[in-house]
Amino acid sequence: MSDEPKSCSTPSSAEPTATRSTVPVWIFSLTVVLLYLGAVYFDHHGGWFDANVYGPYGSAEELDSYQPKSGAAAAFARGKTLYEMNCGICHGIDGLGKPNQAPPLAGSEWVKAKGVQRLTHIPLAGLTGSVQVKGQSWNLSMAAMGAALPDADLAAVMTYIRGAWGNGMGEVTADDIKAARAAIGAHPQPMTGDQMMKMPE
Amino acid sequence: MKNGCSVFLAAFIALGASWWGFVLAPVLQLGTAKQTAVLNSSDIYPNQRPGDATLGLQVYRADGCAACHTTQVGQEGVACEIALTSLGKNQPVEFKKFIASLLDLPRLRPSSNSVTSQMQSWTGTVPQIIVTNLDVDTANNLLQHINAAGCKAEVQIVATGVDIARGWGMRRSVAEDFLWDDPVQLGSLRVGPDLADVGTRLNNAGWQLLHLYAPQSVAKNSSMPPFRFLFETRKSKTSGVPSPDALNLPTELAPPDGYEIVPTADAKNLVAYLLSLHAGVPLYDAPFTSRQASTNAPANKK
Repeated sequence: MSDEPKSCSTPSSAEPTATRSTVPVWIFSLTVVLLYLGAVYFDHHGGWFDANVYGPYGSAEELDSYQPKSGAAAAFARGKTLYEMNCGICHGIDGLGKPNQAPPLAGSEWVKAKGVQRLTHIPLAGLTGSVQVKGQSWNLSMAAMGAALPDADLAAVMTYIRGAWGNGMGEVTADDIKAARAAIGAHPQPMTGDQMMKMPE
Repeated sequence: MKNGCSVFLAAFIALGASWWGFVLAPVLQLGTAKQTAVLNSSDIYPNQRPGDATLGLQVYRADGCAACHTTQVGQEGVACEIALTSLGKNQPVEFKKFIASLLDLPRLRPSSNSVTSQMQSWTGTVPQIIVTNLDVDTANNLLQHINAAGCKAEVQIVATGVDIARGWGMRRSVAEDFLWDDPVQLGSLRVGPDLADVGTRLNNAGWQLLHLYAPQSVAKNSSMPPFRFLFETRKSKTSGVPSPDALNLPTELAPPDGYEIVPTADAKNLVAYLLSLHAGVPLYDAPFTSRQASTNAPANKK
């Protein structure tokens, strides 16, 4: 065999072999570590496939925590929504009222009064009979539309009414509503315009 | 074939998995997307684009605008800032000292650097942004301290990132932005600026038309090619007075006397589409405090 010409300079020991060999342990360990890191990354960034969760938010809870909620602007915006749902049908989304249906709120002296006592009594007790609004006489009847709303929501609506359409008046607090509710009692009767005028602003 | 069955199975699983990942999962996730409510508002977003803007999307597509422009704003982070809305009975000078002492607290220090630069010369006008770049827990913590001192403040949410710093939008783009678009023209290469908020940024139809006809006449050093085939040169119908549509071009680009350059329907539709692009509405999935809402807030003069 020794005189057989060598066709290749590589030593025969370097020839590839086809025997089975064990996978090194470190490959298993590396795979497990990579899987673990991948799972951690997914947990932090995946948002569990929630359609509302985009980066940079990692989860629905994180997204919830960043919803702008505090402050006057948010209360004002909430008041706008509630006004349009509860009051806008009669008083108009623009606050201009509707003939023979509801007096205007924009620029109304009832809304722009210094105090809020009369104003808070209207949605809580209701108002019936003749009233003067912006130099015009209105003889209509309004039910206690706001009595079912929670204090904070009604306060937001009244804050919106006082701040919107150039009325430019300050906020109405939940305490104002609570005080008015207490004054009216559990079984309100609609107040008349004369009764209203006897009450302080 | 010896392993026909397993080859078929392997191919089936490979194609099925990609179909599941690329087609089925997105449809399950976003296929039922609807209009959503704008944050802190009774408005619904997005409204369907006007008819001419819907046609303009097809012009945008046909002219290959998406090859050089994206319509997606990126967002890298989110930060809170504290805006003071009322001082209560406190004096501005005392309030500044109070804030400085608060920011020295160890649990507030790591994320908050300092008060804003406007606070140096602040004289007590509200609303005023006091501290920026806070995380939500620190901001709420700080807010409690400020409220406890008898002041009124609110936490404002601000989206941060390169695109937002450039003024390309107020927040990242989300799926709702593209609800009415077919096909969606996302784009992937930015030779020109992002257009997701161009209707807010450059909301002048005359400027847009001029920019399409001769980009360099309004944006110097722009690499955008002119889209003159969207315009036609025609004889002035009325001598002396240009028709309302005619472009108001600088002298070196102006057509010869007696002629005028007017946009075709395609150009008008394309501009209508560009003007309908907005990314400035706060949504649940991309929240930020709208400046609009802050300026509409009632005056604090009870």
